[in-house]
Amino acid sequence: MKQWMTLLNKELLEMTRNFKWIWVPIVFILIAVMEPITAYYMPQIIDSLGDLPDGAVIELPVPSAEEVLVASLSQYNTLGLLVIILSSMGIIAGERKSGVAGLILVKPVSYTAFVTAKWAGAMLLLWISYFIGYFVSWYYVGILFDTIPFIDFIQSFFIYGLWLSFVLTITVFFNSFLKSPGAVGFLSFAAVIVLIVISGTFSKWFEWSPAQLLSYASTFIMSGPISSDVWAAIILSVSGIIMLLGGSIAIFRRKELA
Amino acid sequence: MSVVHVKNLKKNYQKHEVIKGIDFELMDKKCIALLGANGAGKTTTLQMLSGLMKPTNGEILFSGSREGDDFRHLIGYLPQHPVFYDWMTGREFLEYAGKLSGLSKKDSKKRTQELLELVGIEEAKNRRIGKYSGGMKQRLGIAQAIIHRPKLVILDEPVSALDPFGRREVLELMGRLKKETAILFSTHILNDAEEVCDEILFLHNGRLVESGTMEQLRDKHQQAKIDLEFKEDAARYADLFTALVKVQSHAIKRNKISFFVEDIELAKIGFLKVIAERNLPLVKFEISRTSLEEVFMKVVEK
Repeated sequence: MKQWMTLLNKELLEMTRNFKWIWVPIVFILIAVMEPITAYYMPQIIDSLGDLPDGAVIELPVPSAEEVLVASLSQYNTLGLLVIILSSMGIIAGERKSGVAGLILVKPVSYTAFVTAKWAGAMLLLWISYFIGYFVSWYYVGILFDTIPFIDFIQSFFIYGLWLSFVLTITVFFNSFLKSPGAVGFLSFAAVIVLIVISGTFSKWFEWSPAQLLSYASTFIMSGPISSDVWAAIILSVSGIIMLLGGSIAIFRRKELA
Repeated sequence: MSVVHVKNLKKNYQKHEVIKGIDFELMDKKCIALLGANGAGKTTTLQMLSGLMKPTNGEILFSGSREGDDFRHLIGYLPQHPVFYDWMTGREFLEYAGKLSGLSKKDSKKRTQELLELVGIEEAKNRRIGKYSGGMKQRLGIAQAIIHRPKLVILDEPVSALDPFGRREVLELMGRLKKETAILFSTHILNDAEEVCDEILFLHNGRLVESGTMEQLRDKHQQAKIDLEFKEDAARYADLFTALVKVQSHAIKRNKISFFVEDIELAKIGFLKVIAERNLPLVKFEISRTSLEEVFMKVVEK
């Protein structure tokens, strides 16, 4: 445990020194806040672009507060995933490529602790950045549109956060056996896209897929009828994360580091 | 006391055999040099001993631990090109390495300070490692390898990348370390090996072609040698001397001839007589023994 804390502290310090604690939260805020602001100012934006014939009247339906907040989450499902993968694609692969992993792992360091501490560090960064970003979006929706009950916000926050954690764990998994951060990033992104496309296309058969958590999170915001499949998806995501992490450790242990 | 016993160690890369079965034993508080040309398999051997690479065959047995045990706490390892976290300071890295090796926070701090002074980078301890010079990184690498007082310190080419001053200091440092632990280091520079180590392992094409203490190797391979240097081409004088005493072999290099002889005293008198009688244009007369380098060449050629 002491060793694990040493490893985690090193991760947190590294993220401070390379400014991840600054840029990742900022990007998460920008992604989420764009949605309520552009939705609110859309008429003015179109107006200022001009080029419309005199007398043309544009009538845009004003989106509801719930719709805007859901749109924020949908933004996370593209740009947010990209940020998560980009910021974590080198956490182990990069150290193996440079050779510093070899220097550390000839010390009596537990492989389990090494992998889980890196995962935990990245999870902390993810959840804190995601909370700040999503909270700011909720706040702006409240100001510009209508207040959404805090409990709905929190529920959707946790359910969708589970999917983000799942994506992060996929990246850690590819990190355990690939030496090139670029390859890790590419494969993680490919895996996530395939998962989203398949679960979306065949949604009937993939009610329990972690990629469906976005739509379940939306139903919590919309206060729609909550499907019983949401529990299946939550349980599957949690066990998927545990299995991927276990697999990463098992693979990493067998890997030659030289 | 034996620290580690290596039996029939082999390593294949795909089908290519890199290490073809080597055996040796390392003793406590001895410094052993692993000598060999580039590509002889030195780094591969050291990486297997450090646990970074798994042997295809054979076993590495540390005293006091059984086959398959984690022996990483017993060793300290410095790779050929050590890489650190550039964003850490030297002090932070050593404290981190100490804590990972199982030292308490307090011990780690204390030991870090000791080592920073020992390897001579005390004044740079709060600088980022990214700004360190090659020599400083090498010293930091040695410090992190010995922070947990391992039984065996493995150093891969610790001095090859250093300038003459750095090389001297690191060799002296190794001499001091020898009092506490066993050291196994690889090099292709024979003088370095000669200077600090007690024993030598010659590695060639994945095989141990020769091993032993310096004295053993000298007795076995070294020959008395007389070097002559003339003002002009030496080839024409060679026969004068070879006819004289029992000369095992000789080598001519432009103006120089080296004679390997059995009885140095007899050869010396005979040679000098011939030179004086004939008034040969001699520039240099030297009696010496074959250097380690020549031993190495000879062993490798076999």
